[in-house]
Amino acid sequence: MIDAEHLVTELYAISNVPTVIWIDENNQIIQPNWTAFGTDTFVEFTGVESGPQKDLIRRWVTNGDVMMTADAATDAVHDLSPEEEQARLYFRIGAHLRRAGDEPGAERNFAMAVELAPYDWTVRRAAMPLRGADPFGEEFFTMYGEWQEAGSPYHGVPSR
Amino acid sequence: MSDSQNAQSMCALIAGGPFIDANQLPEALGWELKPQGLCQDDVCVPVADVAALKEDSGDRLDVLAVAATLDRPAVHDDVANIVAVGAPRASRRQAINDLVAPDFALPDLAGSLVALNDFRGKKKLLVAFSSW
Repeated sequence: MIDAEHLVTELYAISNVPTVIWIDENNQIIQPNWTAFGTDTFVEFTGVESGPQKDLIRRWVTNGDVMMTADAATDAVHDLSPEEEQARLYFRIGAHLRRAGDEPGAERNFAMAVELAPYDWTVRRAAMPLRGADPFGEEFFTMYGEWQEAGSPYHGVPSR
Repeated sequence: MSDSQNAQSMCALIAGGPFIDANQLPEALGWELKPQGLCQDDVCVPVADVAALKEDSGDRLDVLAVAATLDRPAVHDDVANIVAVGAPRASRRQAINDLVAPDFALPDLAGSLVALNDFRGKKKLLVAFSSW
């Protein structure tokens, strides 16, 4: 599924990817926002192996084993701030204007979005390739450093 | 309007500025201004002061005021004159506080809409990632 408008990041308060959510047969969230990897492509950078994470998912699917209680799950994700909400909307306008060929308009909105949510990867890093920057380049490492200095904010359960 | 269609109207981009005719509201946001308030299907949000939803001089609706009444975030790029209206905050708060997964519909690689609710009755792994 292609989420050109970043709707899912708004609905589920997702601030980085990959983020994985377990949802049961009744559309109840069993495991909220969790940083989990499908491969080991970036294991040297993240230090997180995908195998144990996929084992946890298999155990939930086959046995119903969960990672956290429902009470813990309800405390795991904090809501988006008003600035983070607005950033998503400016990002959406920026992407729309870029598709329409209005590069200055796109840049104006992407810049506003990044100013509002400087530590949100779904905003700032996602905007990098749309603003002509390399999402694996200098801008990425600048953001990574700033994000770490800010305490590595994440709406959900980090990898472990 | 189906749940999936509701999900589609969750993120709206409205060109032409913050003021629209009332008859454009259903297409723009999926809601309609009626005597009993802002309504979607059989759900109505009472509006105490309808005039507060309208432009100062005229009868058009202020989308920013409508969005605020519906507890949806909105921003206006006054250069391009585009308003973006986000999803109802209640959907996200239900997810965070009550662990109820909000429905949404998105196109697959073939362009066909796929909704979370299409998979009701099955366990689902929602994986958000980017190709960067």
